[in-house]
Order: sequence, then C-alpha cells, then structure tokens
Amino acid sequence: MAQKTDEKKKDGWEITGIKIGMDVGRFSNFLFKPEQTSYAGSLDVGFNNKYFIIAEAGYSEINLDRDNYNYISDGTFYKIGLDYNMLKKYPTDFLGAGFRFAYSTLEHSANNIRFESEHWGSYYTEKESETNQTMWLEASFGLKGEIFKNVYFGWSAIIKVRFYGGTDDKFQPYDIPGFGKAANSISIGANYFIYYQIPFNRK
Amino acid sequence: MKFIFRIVGILLFAFMIFNCSDNRCNEEVDVLLKAEIIVNDPILTNAGFLETLSIYSPAWTDSVHYSSANFMLELSPFADTTVFVFTSQAWKDTVKIFYERDLVYLSQECGFVTYYKIDSTRYTSTIDSLVWVNKKLTTLTDGHVKIYF
Repeated sequence: MAQKTDEKKKDGWEITGIKIGMDVGRFSNFLFKPEQTSYAGSLDVGFNNKYFIIAEAGYSEINLDRDNYNYISDGTFYKIGLDYNMLKKYPTDFLGAGFRFAYSTLEHSANNIRFESEHWGSYYTEKESETNQTMWLEASFGLKGEIFKNVYFGWSAIIKVRFYGGTDDKFQPYDIPGFGKAANSISIGANYFIYYQIPFNRK
Repeated sequence: MKFIFRIVGILLFAFMIFNCSDNRCNEEVDVLLKAEIIVNDPILTNAGFLETLSIYSPAWTDSVHYSSANFMLELSPFADTTVFVFTSQAWKDTVKIFYERDLVYLSQECGFVTYYKIDSTRYTSTIDSLVWVNKKLTTLTDGHVKIYF
C-alpha cells in the first residue's frame, strides 16, 4: 500500500523550487545606454524540475538629452510564460527553452525641441505626453547554473515578436520597456539574471 | 556544460555591445516644397520675368534670387500659413499657403521634423493658376506646386 502511494507521488506534480531573480544585464546600461535606467525581476515556480511557470516585471525610465531635443519616457512591462528544462542529469540546473506573453505600457514626451532654419530662424516647441501600449511574444533558450548554494546565474537568448502597438507614425517611442527598439517588430536580445532559490522542498 | 555556458554567455554579451547605436543622423531631415514656375504670358517672357525673379516671405530678413524655373522653398514651421512674395521688375505677386503641421519624431539620432499637409492656396492677379502635384511634404517626398504666369 505504501509503495503504491510513493509511485503515485512520482507521477504527480510537485513544486521543486521557487526562485526570485534580478536582471543584472540591465546594469550594463550605465555604460552603454546612460540615458536609460531600468530594473527587472522575476519569479519562477518549478514543477518536478521540468516545468517552470515564470512571471517577470520591470520598469524603465529614459531621459535623452540631445542638442536639439530632450526626450522623457517612463514605463513598465509584465511577462508571463513557461520554461521547459531539458536536463536530466543535473536536476537543480537548467538548460532549456521557454515562451512568454508580454505587455508593456509607457508614457513619453519631449521638450526643448529646437528647429533652425536659414530663413525662418530658431524656434522651440514641445511634444505633449502620450501613452503607448505594446504586446509581444517571446521565445527563449538559456541556461541556469548554481554558482553558490541556492544562488544561480543564468542567461538566455531571446527572440521577441511584437503583435500589437508600439508604433506611432508621429511619435515613435525611443524604446519599449522589456522589448527594445520600437522601430523593429522583431527584436533579438539576451538576459542575464541572478536568482535566489528559496530553500523550499529541496532534496 | 561549463564550456557552453561561458562561450555562449560571451557571444551574447558581444552582441549586446555591437547592437549599440552610433548616434549619428544618417537620414534626410529637410522637408521642402518644390516650386515650378511656368511663364506662358509673352509680355512676361519678353521682359525677362524669370531672369530677375526674387522670392521672399515678409517674415524673412532676406530674399532669394532664382534664375531657374525650379526651386525649393521651406514653409514656416512656426505657423499654419506662409506667404511668399514673387517679385520681378515691376511685377509683384503674393502666394498665401494654408496648411496643417505635424511634429514627427524621426529617430533618436535625428530628432524631430515638421511634416506639412497643404489645405488651400490664395494668390494675386499676375499668377494665372496654381496646380498642386503633391500636397504632402515629408522627409521622403517633397511637396510640388506648379505656378503658371
């Protein structure tokens, strides 16, 4: 009778880990995109070390100060999806693929827009605040490895395909939070995360 | 496992760096109106109307002399109306152009430009007629007007 119960447990769904993560790749913005400040975090719940339900959220702020205009934007993004672990030999690590559904909203405006014309002289104007919403799907392939006990480092290559919003013929967003350059409907990128696994149900 | 982890990580990091923009504006930013003068009146032709033609706007501090029949004009980015004065010898004519303006964010490198959509035109007596070939002025397509004297 006891043996039967154990077999049943093996076949069922068991939560094998909960990880909270921080996107550390975004800190490279300080160096390569100083006009942008962004943060992102994630929560994943693993089942049988095979399937992971993922939720991600982030915030992005842009202050682009150019000679002929100043562009300001702030927005948030949310992603939800599933990862599949292909590793069998190292059950705590991850090598696999996943997909996400993502939504982002941002508000952007511009001021100190300067026009200079040989005949008409100089002129300053501004662009009032506008809201832009975007939805896209992501497919990813990546790795997560335990670097210290309960601390993981992971990266993933991501392809993002936008299917709603994000474009405006007159006032195209500079950057869509979580997606990247608004001018492209397909975006390729990479994520670098550090995760902490809550010591929970760990064998 | 560790080898793959490192190599692909380095490649992705390199991709992030090479993906950065060079911050230079490599696009066309001028939004212009191509004007074409067609002189059919023999009195004007004989008097050398085109050869001494000057164009200015009352809002300018200068004027432009054109000796050819084709030239490019810039509409006022500050108002919804632009007045151009065509003057040659004893003749002086005025063209008043009414339009809508759109402030367009061209790109992060180039910034903003003004696009125009022509609504209507008024002109004075020496001008016989005025025909719009293209009423939309953008960075990709110049506006085009033919002015018949």
